[in-house]
Amino acid sequence: MHLKYESQLREPLVYGEKTYHNVTEDIVRPIEAKPSKLWYIGFYIAVSLLLFGVYSVYRDVTYGIGQWNLNKTIGWGWDITNFVWWVGIGHAGTLISAILLLFRQGWRTGVNRAAEAMTIFAVMCAGQFPVWHMGRVWMAFFVFPYANTRGPLWLNFNSPLLWDVFAISTYFTVSLLFWYSGLLPDLATVRDRAKTKLRKYFYGVASFGWSGSTKHWQRHESLSLVLAGLSTPLVLSVHTIVSFDFATSVVPGWHTTIFPPYFVAGAVFSGFAMVQSLMLIVRKVFGMQDYITIGHIEAMNKVIVTTGSIVGVAYLTELFMGWYSQNKYEGYTFWYSRANLFSPYGWSYWGMMACNVLSPQIFWFKKLRRNLYVTFFMSVIVNIGMWFERFVIIVTSLYRDYLPSSWSVYYSPTIWEIGFYLGTFGLFFTCFFLFSKYFPVIAIAEIKYVLKTTGENYKEKMVHLEAVDASVFGHSGHGHTIVDNESSN
Amino acid sequence: MAKKRFVVGCFDDEEVLFPAVKKVRTAGYKIKDVYTPFAVHGLDHALGMRETSLHTAGFIYGITGTITALGGISWILTYDWPLNIGGKPHFSLPAWIPIIFELTVLFAAVGMVLTFCYISQLAPFVKRHHFHPRATDDLFVMVIETTEKTNVEDLKAFLSNAGAVETDSHFVEEGWWIGRYDREEMPFENKQIVAA
Amino acid sequence: MSSSITIKEQFEIPGKLKTWAFALMGVGLLALIAGFATKTGTEEERAVFIGTIMYNTIFWTLITNASMFFIAVTTLAMGGWQQSFRRIPEAISTMVPIFGAITLVVLLYIAFTGNHHIYHWLDTKSVETDEVLRGKSGFLNVKFFTIWTILAIGLWSLLGWRMRQLSNEADEERMDTEKGNSFIWRNTVRAALFIVWFALTVGSTVPWLWMMSIDAHWYSTMYSWYTFASSFVSGMSLIALWVIYLKNKGYLEYTNQEHLHDLGKFMFAFSIFWAYLWFSQYMLIWYSNQPEETIYFKNRVQGPYKGLFFLNLIINFISPLLIFMKRSSKRNYTLVTFMAILIIFGHWIDFYQMVMGSISKETVTLGWLDFGILSFFIGLMIFFVSKALASKPLVPKYHPFLKESIIHHT
Repeated sequence: MHLKYESQLREPLVYGEKTYHNVTEDIVRPIEAKPSKLWYIGFYIAVSLLLFGVYSVYRDVTYGIGQWNLNKTIGWGWDITNFVWWVGIGHAGTLISAILLLFRQGWRTGVNRAAEAMTIFAVMCAGQFPVWHMGRVWMAFFVFPYANTRGPLWLNFNSPLLWDVFAISTYFTVSLLFWYSGLLPDLATVRDRAKTKLRKYFYGVASFGWSGSTKHWQRHESLSLVLAGLSTPLVLSVHTIVSFDFATSVVPGWHTTIFPPYFVAGAVFSGFAMVQSLMLIVRKVFGMQDYITIGHIEAMNKVIVTTGSIVGVAYLTELFMGWYSQNKYEGYTFWYSRANLFSPYGWSYWGMMACNVLSPQIFWFKKLRRNLYVTFFMSVIVNIGMWFERFVIIVTSLYRDYLPSSWSVYYSPTIWEIGFYLGTFGLFFTCFFLFSKYFPVIAIAEIKYVLKTTGENYKEKMVHLEAVDASVFGHSGHGHTIVDNESSN
Repeated sequence: MAKKRFVVGCFDDEEVLFPAVKKVRTAGYKIKDVYTPFAVHGLDHALGMRETSLHTAGFIYGITGTITALGGISWILTYDWPLNIGGKPHFSLPAWIPIIFELTVLFAAVGMVLTFCYISQLAPFVKRHHFHPRATDDLFVMVIETTEKTNVEDLKAFLSNAGAVETDSHFVEEGWWIGRYDREEMPFENKQIVAA
Repeated sequence: MSSSITIKEQFEIPGKLKTWAFALMGVGLLALIAGFATKTGTEEERAVFIGTIMYNTIFWTLITNASMFFIAVTTLAMGGWQQSFRRIPEAISTMVPIFGAITLVVLLYIAFTGNHHIYHWLDTKSVETDEVLRGKSGFLNVKFFTIWTILAIGLWSLLGWRMRQLSNEADEERMDTEKGNSFIWRNTVRAALFIVWFALTVGSTVPWLWMMSIDAHWYSTMYSWYTFASSFVSGMSLIALWVIYLKNKGYLEYTNQEHLHDLGKFMFAFSIFWAYLWFSQYMLIWYSNQPEETIYFKNRVQGPYKGLFFLNLIINFISPLLIFMKRSSKRNYTLVTFMAILIIFGHWIDFYQMVMGSISKETVTLGWLDFGILSFFIGLMIFFVSKALASKPLVPKYHPFLKESIIHHT
């Protein structure tokens, strides 16, 4: 046992008089109660959007992707923009779980479970776009490495598009495993409290017979750490490989070496914004204010301003190099097609700049970081900005290529492209609503693990430790003596 | 698969649990396991468990993934069906790094999770006896194996003395079986015992 | 009980360390004089001579500045674990003005003597005839180069000094909650200022200006982040080396294997991060295969620098990856010492090939002069860092997060 101590300067991560049992009660309650009206309304809206999306995709498959407004040079439009956007959003969950676990940022425990779920749903949404973009979707199995029937002709392993297949599917699998292995103990908690037969059956199956054995916990911890260690480079690799889709080409505005880390920073940026939006809703709808505190929200806003600024440095770097390279094509793309507000797509570049770089700077101010309304508004703005970023990259580089004769007309999506995009929102929120109803939205076991260090009522009991001299901490051999001395006094 | 008698002591505070574990072990009792609602830091050492080598397995799976990807791609693109792709050499290692990396991670992660489930006997429809329903809520449940010589009542008193808030004894199946949590079913052979 | 315990928190410079510092500086000076005497005959030779000093001084400026970056970042992240040894990166960061001054002298000397064998853009005739160079002259000119270099080094030194000044308050008296909060707040503000300036210099402009512009035609948007990664991982290694040294001498009682483990994690993670950036830059240029970009790697991969190029990868990526993967190796003082030295050496080689690979394209000049100058810088670093360490307590006794650091557990 180690001394449980945390500086009083840190805000508690769990508010209220909480025992372990209270934690269980608070988090499992929404699962055991009937969903609220608000939940039903949200769920039905999500399902309707999903159905509209299904119909849009049905048209795409039946009539071909001529249903979309893609043209001879803009072969990637809304579809790939949305793909990259969703993949980007799907980064925050693993980042929170893995990187913040390795960096031992205590506040991750409040938000990691929902963020991981969000990751999985976002990657599911992302995966839709390249698949349906194929047009002849029944040929989708061609992406798998097998020697095909026309002789042993294999896949092109040198192609970034194939790397993407491996990256996205690996990322999805590993995130799912990471998320589910973390869920096992919590599902067991729900199972052991279950009153109804159905619930006993469902959570019994889902919890894999978890008992809480110390040996299992020991292996579980080892597993989580290694999965976190694996997920950290994995999460970097995914958006890196997405950026390779662009950067390996010789298209001006795409071929730039900073793309990999800058895509990753942007992904984290938009992912956190999405987590922020969802957590604010979850917190409100399920009354989780004690667990998702203002402190959590502030911490995430700090991540948002940091990554937003990193992305800003990258934008400026690119813009600078567009000039510095003295390469006509790069210069044209960056300074005419993008940065010139009066060029056809100038609005999207400046929209991106305003949403991603300028507006998050308000989070330098503590007051605004801790304001829920500002936070929610900003989280939406950031995601709009990040959508613009992908749109800018794809469309402005494609619509004016090396060859002026193939310059294309103004591209705007058809209703079916928009419908497809809305459909993925439907998919995402349908999944998220189901998740939030049937699974613990906060990692119960992990909250219990940190409860006695960062819980408000436990921190109050630690106040006397502030007056204890530091040297005592150093000599107490992990603190037993202090605790004993204090209690015997 | 056999039934056994276990003595159960439930603790509600890990500060009490640790000294209790020490006392029970010094007294010579064999602790089958302690069931806890969360990972209690250092409890595995207190129980004298050896370190898990799950991560070593993960490393081996990872290396397998690396070799599979590198071997597979180089065989395909340099031997089985070499293609000129953009004038690049057939053996284009830089272009293969992404897939090699992904497969390394995939093999390591999937392999480790499967190994974890296998060695811990965790799977859908796996059922085992749970000594206390609050072991996943707020109790630290210590389970002690008994022999013919054990005096159950003495042991229970000993546990209460050590700070257990609740004590009990169970005569139950110690392993796992295929079953559902909405039904009180026991393993096949035990059903016969009940019938007899 | 608490009053009876006194800890060794005042560093006294051992005589042996001073001797070592002077010896290394002496060797360095000898090498410098010998180099000046024998290696400055032609203009090309002079370029190599000055280039050798240049990459050394840039390397040491950036890796010591990385210490302040580490403090600023951990401050912003509200880190607690680093407090027990934070005076070490603080002391290392006092080198920034010293190494920075040397860098400034060397760079301005190059700029004002117009040594176009190093900076091609200093050659006025070429600039007149070369369209690309003329186009870039808004950025690559002596005036901007001078002003920005002075500003960069000056503000790193100033903002770093302000961070260190604030740290002294933690030696004075116990802080109550209110005082502690205001202390942390002021730390955060100063750290944020440092980080912003760091992003505008190390994170972008400075590596372009100082190093990338040697190949005046070539460009890579990744260059600065790559340089940052290289200098940060060696900076962490330098911190680890000093921590271990002090630990061996019986200081830093509150710092233990747990802290070492985390330093090891940083070295491990950022070695991989460096390799990631290395790969991204290299692979993208290799893949798209445009001559104006591949020119940079031509002499490095296929020419005389081939050996160093792969050595760079083996030392800086493969070895940390394999050795630091195991938990126990990050907790082993001997192994961390070995790895720290290896990583610093590896990234020194990296800086060597970044700078000299462009100045002396046809021949690898690595030899006694490089190692001599390196030893001068090491000697200087040991001398001043030990002085800085001795100038204040090694532990910020009343830092609000110190206790968290003491009971820190990985």
